[in-house]
Amino acid sequence: MNILIMVIFVVLAAFTLAAGVMVVTVKNIIHAALWLIASFFSVAAMYLLMEAEFIAIVQVLVYVGAISILVLFAIMLTRHVTGEGVRQLYKRWWIALIVAAALFGVLIVPTVFNYEWAVQPSGAQISIASTVEIGTAFMREYLLPFEVASVLLLVALIGAIVIAFEERSTRRRVLTLAEEVEQRRQRNESLRLAPTTHASETSE
Amino acid sequence: MVPVSYYVLLSAVLFTLGVVGVLTRRNALIVFMSVEMMLNSANLALVAFAQRWQSANGQILVFFVITVAAAEVAVGLALLVTIFRSKRTTDIDEINTLKG
Amino acid sequence: MLQFLENIFGPSWIVSLIAFLISTTVILIVTPVTFMMMTWFERRIVARMQDRLGPNRVGPAGLLQAVADGVKMFTKENITPRAADKWVHLIAPLVATGPVIFLFAVIPWGYGLSPVDINVSVLFVIAVSSISAVGLMMGGWGSNNKFALLGAMRAVAQMVSYEIPAVIALLSMVLFTGTMNLNKYTELQGGLPILGNTLKDVIPDLGLGWFVFTPIGLVGFMIFFICILSEGERTPFDIPEADSEIVAGYMTEYSGMKFAVFYMGQFLFNYALSMVASIIFLGGWNFPGIPQLISIAPPIGALASAVVLGAKAWFLFFVMIWLRGAFPRLRMDQLMAFAWKFLLPLALINILSAALWLTIMLWCTGDCTQNPWVFTVGGINPLGWLGNSPVLRQLVGFVLTAIINAGAFFWLLNVNRRPAGETPADLARDQAFGTASLP
Repeated sequence: MNILIMVIFVVLAAFTLAAGVMVVTVKNIIHAALWLIASFFSVAAMYLLMEAEFIAIVQVLVYVGAISILVLFAIMLTRHVTGEGVRQLYKRWWIALIVAAALFGVLIVPTVFNYEWAVQPSGAQISIASTVEIGTAFMREYLLPFEVASVLLLVALIGAIVIAFEERSTRRRVLTLAEEVEQRRQRNESLRLAPTTHASETSE
Repeated sequence: MVPVSYYVLLSAVLFTLGVVGVLTRRNALIVFMSVEMMLNSANLALVAFAQRWQSANGQILVFFVITVAAAEVAVGLALLVTIFRSKRTTDIDEINTLKG
Repeated sequence: MLQFLENIFGPSWIVSLIAFLISTTVILIVTPVTFMMMTWFERRIVARMQDRLGPNRVGPAGLLQAVADGVKMFTKENITPRAADKWVHLIAPLVATGPVIFLFAVIPWGYGLSPVDINVSVLFVIAVSSISAVGLMMGGWGSNNKFALLGAMRAVAQMVSYEIPAVIALLSMVLFTGTMNLNKYTELQGGLPILGNTLKDVIPDLGLGWFVFTPIGLVGFMIFFICILSEGERTPFDIPEADSEIVAGYMTEYSGMKFAVFYMGQFLFNYALSMVASIIFLGGWNFPGIPQLISIAPPIGALASAVVLGAKAWFLFFVMIWLRGAFPRLRMDQLMAFAWKFLLPLALINILSAALWLTIMLWCTGDCTQNPWVFTVGGINPLGWLGNSPVLRQLVGFVLTAIINAGAFFWLLNVNRRPAGETPADLARDQAFGTASLP
């Protein structure tokens, strides 16, 4: 059983890391988002391996089902979809790489390797945290944070709506063909009248 | 049972990958995704600790992190789309003014 | 027992691996066959409704038509557009269909016939069914086709919007029953309508305590069924693949088996959600006679329970086909307005009445003084007159929740009705801004 779990872990870990590397390196934004979804999914599988079934399912529900869809929508709504031909990296990206490598090598690795993981936890062994336990904890010890989190979600909901609906009256309406032609004619006329002031718009 | 240090190491590598993404890429959406990956790696470590100490607290913390991440994504992406509407770019080098 | 098995087959993980392989194989065989039957069924029923015959040449009554279609699909050319994103285009049908087959892993097919029995299966169904939206998006984007992208955007927007009322409807049932395990729902729905299992000792188990007979369950079932129609892109909501507007939506550029896989995912999604609806709201495999049969002869009872559950799911699928024969397609703004202005508030009110029901059922049962969570109003227990009789409590709860739910339903209908004095110009403006009221 242990060997099987270990093999599954190694496969999942390799996949997660490969997906993470692809997210950071790949050129096409859509591909990056899809690799991100893959890494979310394999992390969810790893939660299942750790017998945290509730968290695993919440991970799939929130990250794969909601956040990734939002990211994909945002990519579709912003243009230059494929991102080819655009400069992707900072000019001095190697400095950033050194900083990240230093963070990993100096801070994280010594911490992980010097801590004595083999020490058994003291106190009685409680059973694995089940969904019921988590629910009870939300209603007893963690009631206040739970309420605060729900208020945060409400605020985020309202905030997102307010931000996204800013230009609603000008954007939402689908024009008829006649209206579009009329608009284009007007735009062309104004361009002919004052070509310098609208130069930035025509460049698009 | 997989030793908890393996999970912690994996989460550290994922976190560093996220840092690399945030620091090197110029597209705001990819920076965003890298931040999500960093949050995810923190979650992974938390769940590993929760399993190690056999307590529900770690998982509850993960739940809150996921909640905050969802809120962050909703507001952040709305902001990005709005910025794109006015500036026609998602390049974070060019989004450098406070005025819209 | 385990030791015995280990002696024969090796370590226990090999045994469980083999067991899971067997159930996976069964699921992977049964689901495509179900899909083939569904296509035949739909074509025959729609034909009957439209005064035609439908497929009737291949096999008895055209039953083997699906096999012929399958052969056709296999032999068709597999076209990938030159400008398409090859890998995304190729993987999209799998991402859209795979999760649907995942769903069948937790859905029990009958008494004792669940492939995997996990504690949070309702949550699992909700979570996994939302993955296929990613597949649709991949298909729409990877095809590099405007119609496909439009169709995918429509499909995903629709799925995301209708998921919320569906989840809240299921959540009200989770609150009502106190469990997220699909296997437990059937046990809870035995006995008599409304009263459930409470009079089990007096009256024999009729297997009719379906939640759809309670006000909360009825409203929840209505909401959930409408949301199934929308998520599975069935007719009143089949905007993502409206042939007259955007060819075939996200499936436009797919041909041969890739198209068939998309199609299969859609039909199986309908079937899986029909199964979930029958288990949660329509009493699972409960039917007069089934509980007795299970207690007398478990194997025959299990078979009969599978037949009953299947019949309920197929009946719901029949209703879907019926709706397809009867209704025209909705407009996009009508679709969104219906989800956000009607279904969502109704689902929220439903969850409130589920909480009220729970309060009435649990308030001060047993020894009142020992329970730290019970508080009294001025030293008097406000629900003390109900006593400890569950039947009385259930009847009071039924009446109260029925009044609340019916009131909410008619109030929301009234609020959403178009004002009487509205002119066509008003209507046009409303439609342009996506704020048009329900027809």
